[in-house]
Amino acid sequence: MPSNNSKFWLKNLARSSAEWINGCGPLSEVVVSSRIRLARNIEAIPFPHWAKEEDLKNIYEVMQQLAQENIIFRKFKLLLLNNFTPLELQFLVEKHLISLYQANGKHPYRGCLYNQEETACIMINEEDHLRIQYILSGLQLKKIWGSINQIDNEIGKTVNYAFSEKEGYLTSCPTNVGTGMRASVMLHLPALVRLNRLNEILKAIAKIGYVVRGFYGEGTEVMGNLFQISNQITLGLSEEEIIDNLEKVSRQIIEQEEKARRDLLKDFKNYLEDQIWRAYGILSQARIISSVEAMELLSKLRLGVELKIVSQINLELINRIMLMLQPAYLQILAQKNLNASERDIQRAKLIREKINPMNN
Amino acid sequence: MLCQICKKKEATIMITQVIGGEKTELHLCKDCATLFGDKFSIISFPQFNLDDLLSGLLKAFDLYSQEEGRMTAGEIKCSNCGLTYQDFMQTGKLGCSICYQDFRGQLLPLLRRLHGNSEHIGKVPLQAKNKLDKINQIKRLRQELQEVVIKEDYERAAQIRDEILKLEGVTKKKDAK
Ligand SMILES: [Zn+2]
Ligand SMILES: [Zn+2]
Repeated sequence: MPSNNSKFWLKNLARSSAEWINGCGPLSEVVVSSRIRLARNIEAIPFPHWAKEEDLKNIYEVMQQLAQENIIFRKFKLLLLNNFTPLELQFLVEKHLISLYQANGKHPYRGCLYNQEETACIMINEEDHLRIQYILSGLQLKKIWGSINQIDNEIGKTVNYAFSEKEGYLTSCPTNVGTGMRASVMLHLPALVRLNRLNEILKAIAKIGYVVRGFYGEGTEVMGNLFQISNQITLGLSEEEIIDNLEKVSRQIIEQEEKARRDLLKDFKNYLEDQIWRAYGILSQARIISSVEAMELLSKLRLGVELKIVSQINLELINRIMLMLQPAYLQILAQKNLNASERDIQRAKLIREKINPMNN
Repeated sequence: MLCQICKKKEATIMITQVIGGEKTELHLCKDCATLFGDKFSIISFPQFNLDDLLSGLLKAFDLYSQEEGRMTAGEIKCSNCGLTYQDFMQTGKLGCSICYQDFRGQLLPLLRRLHGNSEHIGKVPLQAKNKLDKINQIKRLRQELQEVVIKEDYERAAQIRDEILKLEGVTKKKDAK
């Protein structure tokens, strides 16, 4: 496996795009993507933060061998993150292929094994030995569970998972023990935010054990009206129950968002259309734009597409721009380091080129 | 004011969270804020900060330290990886899978607090479990084999040898797949 080719695959990653970008999944008018991740460890070997270098190496090599020999993983690419620069690591975080935790990690033999479609990735030596992740567009938690379960079984044939009958899958942090499963959905909720109805809803879902986060997951800010909702409890519920509950909660929020959109259209149609087209105007003409402003405007444009007010743009294009306008992604694309003000110029240029392909 | 997690360093960062309409303030030192900030998500707009995991964990820690009789629990060491319960209290992370056995008494109330449950009812890794069972069975049979050989019970020894070969054969076939 080409761990020495890691940098080569990195370049490819700047051009390729993940399945969820296509914006074609069920209920994609509100749901950007669904994700499940499983935390897994190997019996008796210390967890990465407490492990010796040879333990970490051992785990990396087990996965390397699996990638070479197992038919399911043969088409996966393996990245060894050891000699990646902070910028390159940040880029992988922005692509959702590794976590912030893994990017900031100091220990050696951190790795990432991902498939061609960029739906599945296995983070090696993260907070846990393995973090298996699967992402699809729209609301597709059940389908994701089917796929990730299979990957998990396949790895389980090669390694002895750390597991106890009572506590389930044993994880580095006791907040993940049990199923080791975090299921989440990324929702676009501009109308609920606009009409100030979101607070009540989020308070209610927090009471029943769900966590709300921003675009990049744990510890991040909410931008562009994108909210990530995930289960908090991992012990004492089956995987199917966790998924079922999250799907029910999501459907309720989607219903509320759709109602809020109808209300907006009924009472403020002109205002709403004006906001959407102004966003389009600024995005297609701006020469300097920050990521916060761009995300806000893209949220309005996305709403325009979702409400079929804007037809010359699709969700795939918006998803693609949203990914590429991030700081590290911009610099990887430009193949040079850019300071904050240079990035704002580069970002405006990239958005213009994507939105008006004819004029460039 | 001292940090509410480690109770050692000066608290320099305040985290506000609103849980069920009730505002809670947490005063943390820089180290604990980075550690738990990443883990438990500090979302910048306070109305939406609904992650009550941290406070749950803190309550558990508080409860723990209040129980005088348990003060020596911090000294308990994992027999496999050497992590002490004190280490766990400082980082919020366990050292290895065996820690769950060795700290069981201390962890159970924490798990109940975090999850409202303490028993797993989800997926069981069948393949690994079968394999592990088999390895243990082979180990036991090898021991028995030594014993019967000493006792010169060769008939039983032959039986055991066949059993071991059979078990090993199955394991190998599975691996080859
Ligand atoms: Zn502290
Ligand atoms: Zn241990």
